[in-house]
Amino acid sequence: MPRRLPGQFLTPVIVALALTTGACNVARVTLNTTIELNDVAFIEPGRTTLSDVIAKLGAPDSMTDSDNGVVVTYRFLDVRYSRVNFGWLVKPWSPVDPDLVFSRLGLGVDAFQILCDSNLVVQHRSFLRHLAGPQFSPYPF
Amino acid sequence: MNALRNVGLVLLLVVSACAFNRGTLGDDIKPDVVNTIKKSTTTKAEVVTLLGAPDRILQVNGRDVFQYYRYDAKAGSLLLIILNFSRLSVKSDDLFILLNREGLVEDVISSRRTEALEFRFWPFGD
Repeated sequence: MPRRLPGQFLTPVIVALALTTGACNVARVTLNTTIELNDVAFIEPGRTTLSDVIAKLGAPDSMTDSDNGVVVTYRFLDVRYSRVNFGWLVKPWSPVDPDLVFSRLGLGVDAFQILCDSNLVVQHRSFLRHLAGPQFSPYPF
Repeated sequence: MNALRNVGLVLLLVVSACAFNRGTLGDDIKPDVVNTIKKSTTTKAEVVTLLGAPDRILQVNGRDVFQYYRYDAKAGSLLLIILNFSRLSVKSDDLFILLNREGLVEDVISSRRTEALEFRFWPFGD
């Protein structure tokens, strides 16, 4: 069996090193815990009071006045970011520090809103869904 | 023992660094202070004495609502050789004090979400 030359080892080692110096990043930012449909299934418009909702879901993030009563909002946020720098692949052979970055940010802004009447009884409930999009895909095209 | 040494060696090679970061906004809303506020008894002035000026004053159904809030953020970063993973979790404590037209406390709504806040590194899943 012929012995492998040191140079044959060198290329994969350099490529591995280039790949292994922080070329990829995955990050996520979340604000509060997401409320799902199951979490709000107990709310019956016309019967459930704001106190019942608060007892289950906790204090809301905002309360605002409207012509028809009070609007209570629970907000949550989910931001997903991924980034790959393909420039690192040619770094060992290039005299400059090249960058070829693909990155993508998904901003998921979500809220659960409740409209209560003047007696603080729930009249309507609804989700505002703007989901974060693909799961950590850095491909921007 | 050899297996343990190998795992340690692999970890040393793969995990180059990690980071813990934290940020807060606002003062801690102490539950014992909130518990001293009694419905139909505590006045608006006493609320301000106990908790300070509110972060926000709202008008709901013709009644004043004092809102106090605090945000807590914890970020964990796992800096691997190939990949960097980061996760920032933000939660808020909110306190709403509903006052009636006579300036007495009508209701107290509070929650402490920040108690369950943990440092997390893994960005996937929930």
